[in-house]
Amino acid sequence: MIRRLIVVALALAVLVWLGVRWIGRRTAPPASRVAVVDTLSSAGLRAARLYFAARDGGGLVAEARDLPDRADLHERVTQLVAELDRGPRGAGVAALPPGTSVLHVYLDDRGLMTLDLSRAFRERFEGGTTAEYLALASLVRTLAANVPQVKRVLIVCAGAPLATLGGHLPLDRPLDVSDWP
Amino acid sequence: MSAHPRRRAAGRAGVAAVALLLAAVTVAARFPGWPSVPAPRSVPRIATRDTLPVSPVRDSAPLATLDGQTYVAANDLARLIDAVKFWRADVRKLVLRSGRHRITINADNPFVVLDQRTLRLPAEARLLGGEMQIPIALVDSLPRDSAMARLFVEPRQARVVVLPPGGLVRGPQSASLDSLTRWTFLSDRPEEASVASRARGRFRLRFTGYFSGTLPESLPPRSLVRAGRRIGSVSGSAIELQISPEAVGYRLIPETGARRLVLEFWRAPRADLEAFAPEVRPAAGGVRVVVLDAGHGGGDPGVRAGGLAEKDLTLALVRRLREELGARGLTHVLLTRDEDRTLSNDQRAEYANHARADLYLSLHVDGFTSPQARGITILCPPARFGGTPLPPPPRVAPISVMPWRDVAERHAVQSLALAEVLRSTLELNGLGPVRLREMLPTTLIGVDATGLMIECGELTSSAERARLADPASLSRMAALIADGVLAWERSE
Repeated sequence: MIRRLIVVALALAVLVWLGVRWIGRRTAPPASRVAVVDTLSSAGLRAARLYFAARDGGGLVAEARDLPDRADLHERVTQLVAELDRGPRGAGVAALPPGTSVLHVYLDDRGLMTLDLSRAFRERFEGGTTAEYLALASLVRTLAANVPQVKRVLIVCAGAPLATLGGHLPLDRPLDVSDWP
Repeated sequence: MSAHPRRRAAGRAGVAAVALLLAAVTVAARFPGWPSVPAPRSVPRIATRDTLPVSPVRDSAPLATLDGQTYVAANDLARLIDAVKFWRADVRKLVLRSGRHRITINADNPFVVLDQRTLRLPAEARLLGGEMQIPIALVDSLPRDSAMARLFVEPRQARVVVLPPGGLVRGPQSASLDSLTRWTFLSDRPEEASVASRARGRFRLRFTGYFSGTLPESLPPRSLVRAGRRIGSVSGSAIELQISPEAVGYRLIPETGARRLVLEFWRAPRADLEAFAPEVRPAAGGVRVVVLDAGHGGGDPGVRAGGLAEKDLTLALVRRLREELGARGLTHVLLTRDEDRTLSNDQRAEYANHARADLYLSLHVDGFTSPQARGITILCPPARFGGTPLPPPPRVAPISVMPWRDVAERHAVQSLALAEVLRSTLELNGLGPVRLREMLPTTLIGVDATGLMIECGELTSSAERARLADPASLSRMAALIADGVLAWERSE
């Protein structure tokens, strides 16, 4: 009789314990240290340096912006180009043709980045040499500042080579980041 | 009597069961993680073709002095080392995660945890104006590996900079001998230095490292380097030197083992010298054939704004410029198009080369989207081509080959000289600002002549549109360009 009672009490204790664990899991996340860090990691921010056109067209203006951390190269470049397309928060104006986005990115081990941009890059471009220069400079400078492995950038559009953006500056060769001060 | 002990035993068992229940509840509440499966750790970043780690932002940040200690702002430091930031407001703790490294900094605490090490800084990290300020001494303790950007503190300039992959460049030590001038730089990667411009007037040396040295303020009279200055560079750093005409060539010698870079300019020819960019000036009256190119045309209107089209304005301008040049004695002036028709850049270049042009000016009108845009932009080819090296006598000069596409770079020095004269002429007469960009435009590809592309104003700006639409203003601009061409031809 006593043994039975002890066994039942033990079984009940185990059941209660498991029940409390189960209810606790369903109602609230565990407040352990690991869980806190994991929750925070999704909110990590990384500073990016973005280049936009000066309002008078005389050059570029830089803007530092905290962006959600993206470790993957494609995601990072996509994010940077999206921010350039979104435009500046301070002085300056967006230099990229509106709607420009990244289709593909490839970076080889010699620092040549092949950047495949959407059709909007070519089709929605307007302006003369300055607009063209600033659009390319904005891209090249932003990529060079945030992805330092990049030494040269070859711009293609919708998977096809692009001879020029607006007819004034050649794109048949990769753009050396050092040539865009 | 026999039930009594049984009841007692049952009572003890009941108490034990209740105690066990309470213990189970307490344990479950106190240790919610046990015995559950450990939380999954974040997936490490693996460098593959598709997922490359994103490297540090190259940048610099100012230093601040507080109570005799030098600090850098936490946001700046995070940006410099490309760290992801985590802020725990409840315990005022900042965690910076850069690559595989982790730095934990607590406000009002001199102890910093760097990976597994605990460091004591000379001062506490401070919260100031809502931002944490970190003693700069932390920079010296940061790991020096590929996972974290290498920082360099420049106390004189009160800033901390991110070193590029090329590391540091120091110096130079200069020596001027009878036969040569030698500059020696200490460089982490001397083999990566390159000459970006071979023009004597703008000789540019580019380093992949950060140049922390200072250029000499005064140079001895026999030095073949007349002046030097630092110039901007997107990656690494660069200096620009002015080289004496007495120099016949140069040598760039990377001594990788000694981590030195030697730059020599020589007075006498040697077999191993590199040549400067060709700079044959036209003799007075040497410009015989001028080809003027009116940008766009036919089905390509160029920029349009306010009822005006670029193709019409450029045609009107080249016609006026032809008259102005003719009035100044340059009578052999040809136009790539004298009517509204479509021409490719290849056709224009072919026309100029066939006419054996001494000078080629491609005129355009700009149209930047901002209404505040203003000014004139001149594009000229960069001086990357070294021409034919001077051989030591009696050897025959070797042949140097370049792609025909870049043939305009043979004339880079003169093109730049003309661009600078034009800039002065236009700005002195109130037509500015004039921007000069050393970049080969499509309109100069394949043109074998001194050449420029000139964007003569912003059609999208109402003030400049009014100027471009006014025939008198257009004539004045043509006259100023003609004056500039003549001044350049006379080497003024």
